[in-house]
Amino acid sequence: MAPAVESKVAGVGHFPKEGDFVNRALVALAAMLTALAVCIPGAFARVDSRSGSVATPGVTKTSITIGGTFPLSGPASLYAPIPRGMEAYFNWVNNRKGPDGKTGVYGRKIVWKYYDDGYNPAQTVQLTNKLVLEDKIFADVGSLGTEHNQAIRPMLNQRKIPQILVATGASYWGLQYKQFPWTIGWQPDYIAEGRAYGVWITRNAPNAKIAVFYQNDDYGKDYLRGLNIGLGAKKSLIVSEQSYEATDTSYASQIARQKASGADTWVLLSIPTPTVRALATAKALNWKPNTIVINSVAAIDSVMKAAATNAGPQYVNGAISSGYLKNNDAPKYQNDPIVVRYKKLLAQYGPQGADPNNTFYFYGFAKAYDVVKLLYLAGKNPTRQSLIKATLRMNWVNPYMIKGIKVKTGKSDHFPISQIKLVRYENGVFTEFGSLIKGR
Amino acid sequence: MPLAFAWSDFAQQVTSGLAAGAIYASLALALVLIYQTTNVVNFAQGEMATFTTFIAWMFMDRGLPYWPAFALTLLIAFAGGVGVERVLIRPIEHRPEIVIVIMTIGLLIALNGLTGWIWGPEVKAFDSPFPNSSVIVGGVAISVRDIGTFCVCLGVVVLLWLFFRFTTLGLAMRAVAFNPDASRLMGVRVGWMLALGWGFAAVLGAIAGMMAAPTIFLDPDMMIVVLIYAFAAAVLGGIDSPVGAVVGGLLLGVVINLLGAYVNFVGNELRLPTALAVLLLVLVIRPTGLFGRRVVRRV
Amino acid sequence: MTRRWVGPALTALVLAGAVVLIVFLPRMTSEFRLGQFTYVAIYFIALLGLNILTGYNGQISLGHAAFMAVGGYTAAVLILGQEGFKLVGQEPAEIIPKHGITPIWTIPIAGLVTGVIGYLFGLPALRLAGVSLALATFAVAVSMPAIAKRFEHLTGGGGGLSLPLPEAPFGWDISPPHWLYYEAWGAAGILFVVAWLLVRGRVGRAWRSIRDGEVAAVSSGVSPAVYKTLAFGISSAYAGVAGALFAIQNSYINPDTFPLTLSILLLASAVIGGLSSLSGVIVGALVLEFLPIYAQEPPVFDVNFAKQAAPVVFGVVLMLIVFLMPGGAAGLLRRLTRPIVAAASRRS
Repeated sequence: MAPAVESKVAGVGHFPKEGDFVNRALVALAAMLTALAVCIPGAFARVDSRSGSVATPGVTKTSITIGGTFPLSGPASLYAPIPRGMEAYFNWVNNRKGPDGKTGVYGRKIVWKYYDDGYNPAQTVQLTNKLVLEDKIFADVGSLGTEHNQAIRPMLNQRKIPQILVATGASYWGLQYKQFPWTIGWQPDYIAEGRAYGVWITRNAPNAKIAVFYQNDDYGKDYLRGLNIGLGAKKSLIVSEQSYEATDTSYASQIARQKASGADTWVLLSIPTPTVRALATAKALNWKPNTIVINSVAAIDSVMKAAATNAGPQYVNGAISSGYLKNNDAPKYQNDPIVVRYKKLLAQYGPQGADPNNTFYFYGFAKAYDVVKLLYLAGKNPTRQSLIKATLRMNWVNPYMIKGIKVKTGKSDHFPISQIKLVRYENGVFTEFGSLIKGR
Repeated sequence: MPLAFAWSDFAQQVTSGLAAGAIYASLALALVLIYQTTNVVNFAQGEMATFTTFIAWMFMDRGLPYWPAFALTLLIAFAGGVGVERVLIRPIEHRPEIVIVIMTIGLLIALNGLTGWIWGPEVKAFDSPFPNSSVIVGGVAISVRDIGTFCVCLGVVVLLWLFFRFTTLGLAMRAVAFNPDASRLMGVRVGWMLALGWGFAAVLGAIAGMMAAPTIFLDPDMMIVVLIYAFAAAVLGGIDSPVGAVVGGLLLGVVINLLGAYVNFVGNELRLPTALAVLLLVLVIRPTGLFGRRVVRRV
Repeated sequence: MTRRWVGPALTALVLAGAVVLIVFLPRMTSEFRLGQFTYVAIYFIALLGLNILTGYNGQISLGHAAFMAVGGYTAAVLILGQEGFKLVGQEPAEIIPKHGITPIWTIPIAGLVTGVIGYLFGLPALRLAGVSLALATFAVAVSMPAIAKRFEHLTGGGGGLSLPLPEAPFGWDISPPHWLYYEAWGAAGILFVVAWLLVRGRVGRAWRSIRDGEVAAVSSGVSPAVYKTLAFGISSAYAGVAGALFAIQNSYINPDTFPLTLSILLLASAVIGGLSSLSGVIVGALVLEFLPIYAQEPPVFDVNFAKQAAPVVFGVVLMLIVFLMPGGAAGLLRRLTRPIVAAASRRS
């Protein structure tokens, strides 16, 4: 018989004769159809995949399994230390004697599963399916990314699986609880943060001319909305709004416009790398606004260091941002007992070579602290129901956060952290100033 | 926000467009160099540039001053380029175009992964020999660094031109590009000429990377978008024309800025798609690009 | 004498076996695994289309994820309708139909819409040969996210669109994952047969002759313009169907769900499976679905190491295949089975 058709690509081949292939195609088609006909009755017999479960999934006498998805590779892998920091904290919890005199939580070891979604929501969906169906997690905890959590929210809510303490500051985790009662956020939301900057400007620079540079997506627009709310009647202070796209390699065009607008106060609502690029570009264009306000993502010290190296420390000095966690890299906190202990635990239980000055390991610890608190609050025999109820009874001080901030929720308050503090960049570090600001 | 038209604004948009265009032009030049000698479009060109820029960063991070690190990096890039041609491309050079394209895509994926693996995703500041300050000419701020980048790119073009025009090696390389069989008969070592072409292209890529990194900052995905602009620049100018690559790069930088600034529909959001649509249009009307000479149609 | 029926009989046997396997797989596997095989079917469809264009017609596409996105958005918009948009608090564009429709009907529509768009794209693409076309399609893939974001009222912008969770239509009593699985494989089966009939017939011969030499093809009376645009249209229609199924399966869609990486990986998987071979497509689809997920839980390496190494491994594997297995998995299979078939045919 003639070999299958091959291409120049696949090697040198030749065409089969006409009659040959028609026969072959017919025979094969007939075979497929016959097979299908024979199989169909068998296939459509009801397969029940929803076996009635007696016990709570993910909870055994000795363990409790939780999981989440994070970008561990690709451009957003900047955040990869978060789940690893959480892992280190859980490892410690699994080995220490707790308040109940047992290791883990009520004698159950925390099993922490996390996967790399590459910051692609389609992968988030698949991997969350894996967590739910294969790893049988008790709850989805701290998954990262706004769109990513949005993609899995309906499915988790339908299955009544808690989706808690998500790592995104979009406001709808706290707002849409009636529609999605199994979902709750954690960090201060972007609107609240944007509002704080707006309020600060009206109080401290009431005659400012503001230029806003924002990322053209829900993230940037949420911040912009918040800023406008904060400015209130002074909205007209904004003299220039320019956006950027992830595919822009140069922001000179936009920033030249902002300079030409005569603005003296610059609000940067952008993620880390674009923020440094924008600062360097403004410097290159010889534009030095009096005040620079940047969202808290820029509080990652490596980012500000890169900006200072490029544009000169003078240029970025005085930049205003905000925070809610202690700055584990700042001199102020080097003797803080919680930061000292964090460094010790990270070295002991964290991944090899983990940099203790990286903000995101610290973020992981802070988040894990609240997770453990919640697991205790969910009771000796936790169920998904009792866990989600516990998320509405949060009321404690998380020692990883700036003094005075309370983690607090209630029946109508679905925002666990809603206080922030403004920080100012001076001589290489962000320093807190002013009093706590209530975001909601 | 609409702004009344002002010449200073226009000039500012053009100047900053030229600065961005100079970077596209240098990477486009690298693409053209390889295409000219080997008829291959190297999709891994951007990743090779990123990788070598990280090597330069590593040298400087270990305390090496700028220029020695720069020179050392160019040497490594050259060796790397020659190595890629000899090891990866040579064995498949007579296979169809698509096979070679896929080989370079394999290299793109692997190098991008490797860069992230070795150096991590955090953004890094990269030194520049030119200060980040500016001079003001007629109300237009011109960055000294941009001028430096621009001069380096132009200098490279002039050097290349001199090389191809006046050295025996350059002549031999041109001969190979023009007619490999005849060159072989004349005693030119065709294989090595092709490898040299890749080596020089890698050097150009490294220069583009090191010129781009101070303004767009160093991270593993730094060159992916630049590569797309470089492709557009190369195609716009004519993929076999070095002059075309430079003109194409500069033109692209300026046109993108002007479209974004003055055409409301385009705004900041559609700059890239519009640029690519313009490019497509040019291709359809004039497939050889603005400066391209020959139409290759293999039978 | 040779037994000429051995080859066709073997093909028939393998195909019948495949059908039985696909139909009964849900009984043998977990719900999660079932979902993965649904994705395999989706990638299978996309790769069939890409293979028609690139393998059989020799036109390189580095932008197939963008065509998938067109299909995905078409399906999503039709499923939601203006009502659905308003329900999730989004302002819908005027051209969106008022009411949503049953998901399954959106699949052929998505195929049709994407096919037409692909056909239109194929017209200017006629002027582009080889590498220029690769670049042009690359440009399409790169531009897609920005375009999708710009027309927010049609696509939900960067935040994307959440679709209602899938369920079986017409009140059928099948669990949703099973339904999605059979729906995807049903489409895959039909499209496989269509592709097969196409590439083996007159059209396929014309495609191949253009691929192997356009000038020669013209001289034998084949019009490159007609057949190349046709290949583009059909290939895009396949991508559109795959995109629609993808959106339904994920019940979510935004520009990031069809990244440039997906375009690149699609082409890479087509090569790994074997260009101009329909049987290899299944291998490509399996690799595309399982490699990224299982690279995360390797049995041998240190986990952190493997997570970092996965893309490097993918790239290196791709390069090795180009070197060592020019025909991809299908070529390898052919080389292995040919002696067996030949022996069976000759023995008498």
